[in-house]
Amino acid sequence: MGDEAAFVELVGRYGALMLQVARLYVPTRSVAEEVVQEAWLGVVKGIDRFEGRSSFKTWLLRILTNIAKTRGAREGRSVPFSALAQAELGAAEASVDPDSFIPRGERWASYWSSAPPRFDDLPEVRLMSAETVAVARDVIEALPEAQRTVITMRDMAGFAPEDVCEALDLSEGNQRVLLHRARSKVRRALEQHFEEADA
Amino acid sequence: MKAYKFLLPDRVAPFTGFRWPVGEWAEADRQALCTAGIHACDHGDLPFWLLDELWLIELGESVVRGRHKLVAPNGRLVRRVEAWDAAAGEDFSAACIERVRGLAARRPDAAGHLADLAGWAPHVRPAAVASLAARAFEAFESRKGYDDERAEQSAWLVGRLGLDAAA
Amino acid sequence: MAAELTCKELVELVTEYLDGALSLDELERFEEHLVYCAPCVTHVEQMRDTIRLVGAVREEDLDPVVADELLAAFRGWREDTA
Repeated sequence: MGDEAAFVELVGRYGALMLQVARLYVPTRSVAEEVVQEAWLGVVKGIDRFEGRSSFKTWLLRILTNIAKTRGAREGRSVPFSALAQAELGAAEASVDPDSFIPRGERWASYWSSAPPRFDDLPEVRLMSAETVAVARDVIEALPEAQRTVITMRDMAGFAPEDVCEALDLSEGNQRVLLHRARSKVRRALEQHFEEADA
Repeated sequence: MKAYKFLLPDRVAPFTGFRWPVGEWAEADRQALCTAGIHACDHGDLPFWLLDELWLIELGESVVRGRHKLVAPNGRLVRRVEAWDAAAGEDFSAACIERVRGLAARRPDAAGHLADLAGWAPHVRPAAVASLAARAFEAFESRKGYDDERAEQSAWLVGRLGLDAAA
Repeated sequence: MAAELTCKELVELVTEYLDGALSLDELERFEEHLVYCAPCVTHVEQMRDTIRLVGAVREEDLDPVVADELLAAFRGWREDTA
């Protein structure tokens, strides 16, 4: 890790995500940037001692959250992430529009009222096109904060469930509910996008 | 131990996508046995797993029973049950519909279920007809009705496919 | 308890299913349902496609000023330890 090119690559890959995570613990973006800088220095100094007992990503996340939590406590962040998460988890949410299912009391209640369309009937180029990725990104940016953070860490950055739970002080169950809601919103937006495009 | 296994066309497992060899032992992940073990059926389990191909499978030691399946750490496809084909699937569906017709005869409110089933059967897989028929019985004769219909489905398969002789 | 999972119940379990977090009994009911219900198979595939798409979203790049500061700090550390 003496290599500048390697460092630049790591910063490029994880930098924005680290900023988003740090931002959860501290009151301002500039403090978050300081936290990220301190975390990277910790990584650079500690890399020789990184024995590979966990994955690099897990280790990176731990360094970051330790620094962010300490700094956050000092800066007196107003709303802890766990409170944000609890607020979002408070109300029940149906992940699929209830109108998609045959209503209660009818014959075959709770079955699909019509079959959902396959996304992968589309040519691969269209499914993974810049346009479709942009639809997903727009939905994610508009998500409530706890859902946005969990889906970013799990599906965008590929952190393991245990790492996300540790970093955000979430139970596995709550982490999964937030992820489910976030993914469901993206799925619904994609389905609508493809329907409109086909019309 | 001999048992049965349903697979997608070309011996592909439905949930793992694993393509089974014929005659060779395949191993499951021993640490995750219950979720990732080799799944198989005995007679009573067959109606729950209806897919395109039916195979006779030999299971290794320490077979565990699930609700509607057997789970083993390893297994070996022995031979295909050729009698299970598209035509047998159609006849299976028709037999389910006949039993629902009998239900509608004694429970007139089931006429709608019967009409739906008869209309859908040409367009859906036998597994769907099996489930729909069993649920129709469940709606009018509760869980016992469901279980009895599933037992009838199993008996039909064993009889039609000659499975008593094979096992 | 009903003999089978309904489609409406299944869609709420998809994330647990993909994480391998369903109980053995729930997993069996879930898999049985996928054998007889093509629309639910499609729904699960939609979710897999959604996850793949999210994986392709790139966070907006770190502010170049901040990246430069990081690099400067890195170089400074390198020199100190040389």
